[in-house]
This record gives sequence, structure tokens and C-alpha cells, in this order.
Amino acid sequence: MTKHSYVTTFINGVLKIILLFIFLVPFLWMISTSLQTLEETLTVPPTLIPESLQWGNFLEALSSGPFGTYFRNSIIVTFSIMLIQLIIMIPAAYAFAKYDFFGKKFLFSCILIAFMIPGQVTFIPVYLMMADWDLIYTLWPQILPFMTNAFGIFLLRQYIMQIPDELLDAARLDNSSEWKIIWKIVVPMAKPALATIMLFSFVSHWNDYFWPLIMTNTEEVRPLTIGISMLREVEGIANWHIIMAGNVILVVPILLAYIFSAKYILRAFVYSGIK
Amino acid sequence: MKKWLVSIFMIISLISILVACSNNNEGTSGEKNDNENSSDGPVTVNFWHTMTGKNGELIQEMVDRFNSSQTEVEVVATYQGGYDELTTKLQQAIASNTAPDVAVIERAYVEMFAESEVLADLSGFLESSSVISEEDFVEGLMGHSYFNDQLLALPIYRSTPILHVNKTLLEEVGAEVPTNWVELKEVANKLVVKNGDTIERYGLTMPYDTWYPIAMISQSGGQFFNEDKTSVGFVDNGIGQEVFEYLTDLQSTGALYYPPQTDSGSIANQMFIEGKVGLLFQSTGTIGNLQDNVDFDYVTAFLPQNDQYSTPTGGGNFAMLGGSQNKEAAWKFMEWVVSDAGGAQQYVIETGYLPFTTKMAESPEIQELWAAEPNRKVAFEQLQYAEDTNKSTKWPTVMHEFFAAIEAIMYDGEDIKSTLETFKTAAELNLN
Repeated sequence: MTKHSYVTTFINGVLKIILLFIFLVPFLWMISTSLQTLEETLTVPPTLIPESLQWGNFLEALSSGPFGTYFRNSIIVTFSIMLIQLIIMIPAAYAFAKYDFFGKKFLFSCILIAFMIPGQVTFIPVYLMMADWDLIYTLWPQILPFMTNAFGIFLLRQYIMQIPDELLDAARLDNSSEWKIIWKIVVPMAKPALATIMLFSFVSHWNDYFWPLIMTNTEEVRPLTIGISMLREVEGIANWHIIMAGNVILVVPILLAYIFSAKYILRAFVYSGIK
Repeated sequence: MKKWLVSIFMIISLISILVACSNNNEGTSGEKNDNENSSDGPVTVNFWHTMTGKNGELIQEMVDRFNSSQTEVEVVATYQGGYDELTTKLQQAIASNTAPDVAVIERAYVEMFAESEVLADLSGFLESSSVISEEDFVEGLMGHSYFNDQLLALPIYRSTPILHVNKTLLEEVGAEVPTNWVELKEVANKLVVKNGDTIERYGLTMPYDTWYPIAMISQSGGQFFNEDKTSVGFVDNGIGQEVFEYLTDLQSTGALYYPPQTDSGSIANQMFIEGKVGLLFQSTGTIGNLQDNVDFDYVTAFLPQNDQYSTPTGGGNFAMLGGSQNKEAAWKFMEWVVSDAGGAQQYVIETGYLPFTTKMAESPEIQELWAAEPNRKVAFEQLQYAEDTNKSTKWPTVMHEFFAAIEAIMYDGEDIKSTLETFKTAAELNLN
């Protein structure tokens, strides 16, 4: 290595560590606070390493409400959304990428428009619709409006367009049905895109607070985010140690999902066979 | 192509099955349907509130006490977000006929709902009640209850701002608890400790909120809205100028610490607990919490007067929705809350909110509490000066404009006069 490249490697490393630090500190802070006593969270200067680890904070956070129910609801809602989105998104993206049919351009621009309309514009009509169908006492209003994912269809279409037509034609020559082509060729090749879309979808619906709060009327069908927000004190002193313990509980599944899908994305790149 | 038609058909039928399923589920899991339980079993009353954390648990305990005290009515309490979120939620719910029977509405938002005529008039219920009457309620807390000669809301968890004092610090600098603006300025400046250019201790702090400037406007003999609610007179008559000059003057010497916007209440409380500030303008709702956490001589006092004592009120009011199918049952719950010793009275004792009926204030339980914690009594006594001058259906929008003005003056050091003029123009646009 030349002297010059040593310097750039060094600067690169330092910049990466700084960046890592910027993103990591809030996390460490959250974890550290979740293991402190209330008095310790209030001390100035703040301490990063707790004097003694207060694992009880987690128990206190969990015992402050029906967290089992909240957790179950979060899981049902996020996984249903992900599953239904997959079922709808993959054939749709495939059709837009590889088929020519009447009204294709028009339909696709409809999807692009849907992707550009902010949720704030539609949430009142959607609420009224859900209320009309008597659904706001169930989990459905948290799932139904998200069955399709316009951004996902768009991204996946771009990805599928890169798959060579020859590959698909070869399969057709072997008398493969279109369904088989989708599941055996398109889906495995689109894994990186799918993993990305699923991760986005998981994170945004797992973290959603406002929508479930507005769309449901009872505690029994509300997700974890609302349970965590209820740890906040209304007036008086915020119990930061308990709130942070709650946040750690909320964030762990996201971290797991990320670790899982990051591996998946890498593997999909290695085996994808194109490029 | 045919296969595609089949798959589209399949997707559509899948969706309709899903929807159908949920409709069926609703019968079993949706226990909140009011009309189902008319003949046998208790009547379900839905009650929406805004309390989380410890206060939320205490609300639930209160509802549990009611449910176990009788068998005719079953109250289901649900947290629906903070005051603003509950308001949004309620507006939608009313429009779609899914509103609860009873809800807590932030007192300043009551008028907005009153204007849309969606709240039930409670005076008839009160007249026929044998345990409580209109005269029992503390007058200072009823400012946001009467609209168009109807009684539309009752107090439930109400507070006022008061002065919280670190008596130990005051004695250290040889000062008395301030009772007027002149003394307040003097004491706050005395408390300041500087180390070179950095200020180690401030005199006074208050959360970033409209409450405190509004209190100071009425202490100077002004009103937030004019009588006819078409303008904000305190800008023209110079009272606004006086209030903000006073505040920025304190700020310039370190006598006032104005905390950052985010979480300002918590920050102000923590500074007070740590002795980094001697005086605190803050809600009565925090007394219980402060009392548990300070290790100095802690007392409360009236907000200092300028021309007169005055204080706005705040917190949640209790209202029955006009569309409720179970008004009698809903009233049964409300009546119990406002009159029974196990109702709001117990909640008030546990939290630090204000007793809102004279009976409650005179009850042995509250008297005992006041004897043990005289700090709580101060807030109640201050209610004789309670005056709500920000009553208008347009308050929620004007409030945001006022916040922007406070921000410009207190954080960005903008010129007071021109900022208030800008605010006035914006407010009038909304009001007229």
C-alpha cells in the first residue's frame, strides 16, 4: 500500500467510526437508561454505565398493562400485512413488468398516484368506511388499508424488468405455468428487493402509533406502540427508566428483523445469478 | 389471460372473505356494541380518557371501584391519546357514529364541541339528582362548562398553575416568597448564581406553554380574547407588551430560565428538583410528584400578582355525548364520579388535581390531606381568582399562533411589539 492509501484508509475508518457513533449513541443511551434507577436518570452529568443493573424496570414496564395482548396484536397485524402484501404485490409487479395488456399505463400511473398521496389525506374517509363496516373494534382497520403497497409494486416491477425475458421464455418452452414461473424463477431472483420491501413494511407497521390509535376504539386490539406510549406520565416527572425499558422491548423485534433480513439480502445477492 | 382472470377473481373473493370474517368476529370480540346489551346484563358505558402512566392506572382503579359498587352499569374506560389526540379522535367518532357515551375533553376544547351541538345538556340530570346539584361545583372551575345556557361539561381532573418554591434556597439568600411582580423580579435575581459567564443557578422557570403568559395577562388586568371574541385586545392596550417585556427582562439577567420546547415541563421540574432554580410556575398536577422527589423545604404559593391575583384553569372536563344510547347509565357513572367518596375524590387525593365540589373540599378525607400537605390547599384557595379568558371555538387555532409568538420572543429575541402585532393579525384572521 502506498502512503496515500494508508491515509485515506485511516480517514475512512475514522469517519465510519464517527458515523457509527452518531447512530449508536441514542441506542446505547436508551439501553443504559432502561437499566438505571429514576434518580440515576436525573443526575447531571448523566451516566452512561448504570451503577447497578435494574432489570426490574423491564418487569415494571411489562406489568403496567396487558402487554401480552399488545404484543400479540402487533405480531398479527404486522405479519398479516406482510403476507397479504406479498400475495398481491408479486403477481402485480410481475404483470406490470412482463405483460402487455390494455390500460397498463393507466393502471400503473394509478399505482404511482396512490404511492404519492399522503396518509393524512385519506385517513378520515378510511376511518368512516371502517366505522361503517363496524370494524373499528377489531384488528382489521390496522390491516385492510395496507393490503397493497404501491411503493413495493413499483420497486419490485423495476427489479423484475431486469430479469431477462429469455429465462422466462425458456421456462415457458418447458411447459411451466405462469404461477410456477413466478414462484420458481421470479421470486428467488427478486429476493433482495423483496427483503428490502418487507423490512420497510415491517418497521413502518410495527412502529405505527397514530393509525392504530385513531382506527381502533378498544385496548384489546391495540398494538405495542400504544402500550409503550402509556408508560408516559401525563403531568409530573417522566419515568425515563421505565419508558426506555418499554422502548427496548419495542425495538428488539425490529433489530432481529433487520439482522435476519440483512443476512438474507446478502445471500440473495450471492445466489441471484444475474449481473 | 383466462388464468389471470381466475387469479383476480380469487383475490377479490379472498378480500370479501376477509371482510366477511371480520364481521362475524365482531359479534364475539366486539363487546363494545352498546345496543346489544339492552335487556339482560349490565349496560355498557364507554368512557374515553386521556390519562397514561400512574394517573391512567388510577383512573382505571376508579372505574373498577364503580363497576364493583353496582351491577346495572359496566363502564369500559379507554385511553384515546392525549388531549389533542382525543379531540381529533372524538371528532371523527362523532361523524361516524362510533363515539363513546362519556369522554374527557380538555376544558378549552369544550366550546368547539358545544358549538357543533354534539354534547348532552346535563342540567336536567343534575336537577333530578338527589346527591349533587349545580351549586355544589366550585365556581372557578365552571368557566368552560356553560355554553348557550346549557350545562355541557363537569370538571373531573382539573388544575391551575401555581408557584412552587424551594424555601431552603430562598432562606439561603434571605428572601421571602414573592407575592407580586416586583418582589418576584427581586427574588429571582437574588437567586441567580453565576460562575464567570455560565449561570449555575436560575431564579425562576416555567414550561413553554401559553398558560403562563395568559395568567400574567389577566394578572395585569387584561383578557386574552375580547368580550365579543373578535380580537386579542391585550396587544393594543399594551398589556401584552408589559408581560413579555417583564419576561425577557428576567431572562436577560438569568433570573428566568426558559426551557427548550421539547419536554419543557419535565425539564423545568427536574431543574427545580435539583435546586438549579428556586421558583417554578407549574401545574398543581405535579405537587404529588414534586413532594415525593425533593429533598428541601418545598412550599407552594399563589402566582404573584401584578394589578391583581389571577389564574387560568386547565385539565380535563367530563362530558356526555348527545348521541349516546345509554344516557341514563352514563349519567349514573358521572353522578357517582362527581359525588362519591370513591369516585373523583379518591383520584384527586391520589394525584394532586383540584377538588371541584364544595362537598369534596369539605370532606374529612380532603381536610385531612390538606392538614398533612398544606401545599395542596394553596392551589384550591387560588381558585377564587380563577378566570378563563381564552374561551372561543377558535382557541385551538389561535393557540398555535400564540405559541409561535412566544417562540419568536422568548427563543429568537424578536421584537416584542412587532411580533405581537403579527400575532394579532393572524388571530383576527381566524376569529372573524
